[in-house]
Amino acid sequence: MQTDPTPIIQASDLNLRIGSTQLLDDACLAIRTGERLAIVGPNGAGKTTLIRCLLGLTQPDSGRIEINGRPLAELSHTGYVPQQLAERISFTAMEFISMSRYAYGGGGGGGGGGGGGRGAGFKQADEEGMEATEQAIELTGIGHLRHQALSTMSGGERQKVSIAAALAQQTPTLILDEPSAHLDPKQRDIIHGLLAKITREQNISLIVITHDLNWASADFDRIIGMKAGQTMVDAQAGAFMQKQTLIDIFDADWLLHPHPESGRPMVLPCPSLKP
Amino acid sequence: MTDRTKSKLLIALLGITLLCAVVTPWLGYHLPQWDVIFRPDADDMDAIIFWQIRVPRVLLSLLAGAGLSLGGVVFQALFRNPLATPFTLGVASGASLGVTIAIVSGMHFSLLGLSGTSLAALSGAILSIALVYGIARASGKLSPTTMLLGGVAISFFFSSLILLLQYLSDAGSSFRVLHWLMGDISRASMDSVLQLAPFIISGVLIVSLLHRELNLLSITDDMAASRGVNVDRSRHLLFFAVSLMVAGIITVCGPIGFVGIMAPHICRLIIGSNHRFLIPASLLFGATFLTICDTLARNISSAAEVPVGIITAILGGPFFLWLLLRKNRSLP
Repeated sequence: MQTDPTPIIQASDLNLRIGSTQLLDDACLAIRTGERLAIVGPNGAGKTTLIRCLLGLTQPDSGRIEINGRPLAELSHTGYVPQQLAERISFTAMEFISMSRYAYGGGGGGGGGGGGGRGAGFKQADEEGMEATEQAIELTGIGHLRHQALSTMSGGERQKVSIAAALAQQTPTLILDEPSAHLDPKQRDIIHGLLAKITREQNISLIVITHDLNWASADFDRIIGMKAGQTMVDAQAGAFMQKQTLIDIFDADWLLHPHPESGRPMVLPCPSLKP
Repeated sequence: MTDRTKSKLLIALLGITLLCAVVTPWLGYHLPQWDVIFRPDADDMDAIIFWQIRVPRVLLSLLAGAGLSLGGVVFQALFRNPLATPFTLGVASGASLGVTIAIVSGMHFSLLGLSGTSLAALSGAILSIALVYGIARASGKLSPTTMLLGGVAISFFFSSLILLLQYLSDAGSSFRVLHWLMGDISRASMDSVLQLAPFIISGVLIVSLLHRELNLLSITDDMAASRGVNVDRSRHLLFFAVSLMVAGIITVCGPIGFVGIMAPHICRLIIGSNHRFLIPASLLFGATFLTICDTLARNISSAAEVPVGIITAILGGPFFLWLLLRKNRSLP
């Protein structure tokens, strides 16, 4: 994993208040190329609001967001994988993934049939789009799902398509909101493996919101712990997984134990604390 | 289904629409002589029935059917709800209220070549969309569900205003409003075709140019925005396009329900959700469907012509229920 020292996304002192709720309170975040960053914290801590700001979907009241040193301007700079795609979506995988090429002028739909002849530039963009789409399909291993409608897929398959669509945007960073929260243990491991493979092979940075502390500890370089709109703790994964840090962020106590193979710290339920 | 197959299907559908346009003017109690097609300006009975009554009527129903169907496609995608149409969302009632006010007040003026009635309809349509949008915005989140509920409420409110105006007006204009409210193409003339055409053509152009935006917006606003779509601008343009088409149709033909809900769903089942294919398919299907309904309307009873709105609703009502009760996942 090679890591470039200059941050690719840098957000500083983000504040957002809606009504009487301080959703973000001087939140900060920076990520470098190829880095894998997990955001953890209790429900309502502002994790989703923070990534929405990074994506440009929510406007903070104050603060700065810079992408490659320039202020956040266009929206399609970062691949976004939402929590879960609705079951009702009846696009085929191919259609859905190629739609992500919108910002490049593509996304008229799946391969074949040359519909819109909007000059040479458009045609060329379309070909690049096809290549990006094919590459994303290959990386995520969903070739067999190409012409299947999302509405007929399992949760895990839909999530793979969603990741492939974000990859087809060919952005240096992917932001994922609880990508494995609703999946069964096997599908969850498949998605975790897939994300690890993507970052390893493509040198793509990952920002992931998760409640799975063991996954954060095992597969991520850095962890940010959020609480009440603040990015309270920002540390290397190993340093983050400390008893006191977890108590501070979650107001809860767990046993910490090294993983039998990797040696990374894992959290285990603490029987003595159960009511 | 591959894109190539879909393109072939569209060409077949275009063929059916053209066939329908060529055949239906001949159908009716009076069968004109075939050579009537060579004398459009003659003043014998055959020529008048064919060229001045039936042909404009077929053209009008093709235009109106296409517009109504496309309005349904756009609203179902924007609101991500299979039951959303300009009718369920109050746009049609807004336009209808505009026309009712124009009829009752005896409004007779024109501006930039548009009649007072069509301007009143357009204002009503835009007003109701602005209200629905404003309600949803005021509630904090622009959720499609809030907009849908707001639309239903506004639709009821405007409908009762129409009834109130009708109740207060004299018998003559009350009857005219009633007849017009049934949705009717029977008064079609070449003038009404020319009046409607610019509304439909500009609406269709705007929607067609935004087919990629519609695809992404039909998933979620966030998804569309994160892929680079200017969500607000696209939504405003699409709302405007639908207002144009609906206002034009309401002015010329009155409210014709259920085309906007049936045609898009049938097309989606056959050709899929990709708007690149769904838009042309719905245009053609809606046009053909309304033309066939209108041909039925003018032939079904020998005593009097049935307003086409009644036919589409009789066919559409059961379909609507079937749609509600069916367990199918390929809806938007």
